[in-house]
Amino acid sequence: MAIEVGNVFPEVQLKYIPYDETNPDTCAAPQILNTKTDFAGKKVVVVGVPGAFTPTCSSQHLPVFVAKASELKAKGVDLIVCVSGNDFFVMSAWGKSMGVKNSIIMAGDANGDLGRTTGLALDLAKVGLGSARLTRFAAVIDNGKVAHLAIEPDPSSVTVTGADNIIAAL
Amino acid sequence: MTIKVGDVFPEAVLSYIPYDPSNPDACGLPQLINTRDAFKGKKVVLFAVPGAFTPTCSEQHMPGYIQHIDELKRKGADIVACVASNDQFVMDAWGKSYKVKDEIMMLSDANGELGSALGLVNDGTAKRMGPIRLARFALIVDDLKVVYLGVEPARGVTVSGAEAVLAKL
Repeated sequence: MAIEVGNVFPEVQLKYIPYDETNPDTCAAPQILNTKTDFAGKKVVVVGVPGAFTPTCSSQHLPVFVAKASELKAKGVDLIVCVSGNDFFVMSAWGKSMGVKNSIIMAGDANGDLGRTTGLALDLAKVGLGSARLTRFAAVIDNGKVAHLAIEPDPSSVTVTGADNIIAAL
Repeated sequence: MTIKVGDVFPEAVLSYIPYDPSNPDACGLPQLINTRDAFKGKKVVLFAVPGAFTPTCSEQHMPGYIQHIDELKRKGADIVACVASNDQFVMDAWGKSYKVKDEIMMLSDANGELGSALGLVNDGTAKRMGPIRLARFALIVDDLKVVYLGVEPARGVTVSGAEAVLAKL
């Protein structure tokens, strides 16, 4: 029972380490991102990936969102969030290695709350990634409501969830 | 039921991405490793961390092993390995961030199989770190027998650090 267009996006507390431009290499204090209160009144793009530092996510999915972040913002997106089942320390390190600064919030859903509440969880225990991962998806959340939802039919590829497709849907 | 000195080291299947000298920056293919098969007949130093890329692990625990790796091998360690419940891609990336090649095996216990078998696994959900996290510890395993166990009692790195292990080799 996965989330659909028209649904209210579930309220979940994710964690992230904010980018600190005065000290870009250190590990700043983690913050909570609440998907209800922090998304209220905003247009948010949420990109779910199975795993930080994995081939497809690193070479095909995240880089295009990083490159096109300003284009998304120019089309009215207030916040871009990349989330996976990794913890927030890993997401922060991955973001740093991919040149993400302030443009994208790299959030961790290590407790699997987002996967469970959206129905977008993916069991990847067989390939050693644990059972509480997110499938590859991209959603546009407009003032708390799902306005667009793309779920990659084959999570190891990037087609409908790619940045260009999301820009076209805005 | 936590492991003790004198116990036989449990059999567990872990995952890792072997270092490929012909293509050191690429993401190699993950391999499985059975601890019983891989550790049999060898002296193994295994240190476990709660999380790759986390402050204590990154600043205090891992660097000590990197600094003392030659000494560890000189004192008879055939294998030096780091294990955490992060997946093998994350462990590989973390190792690469220190320029680790094949001198330290970066192992993943993503399903907590090893942690549970050792009785050294914790629930990190309260800190939003997920339900499976290994405790901070170091083991010396000699031909599958545990000859040293240092489980860190609090924050920081003491009995699980490279220097403590060196003193016991």
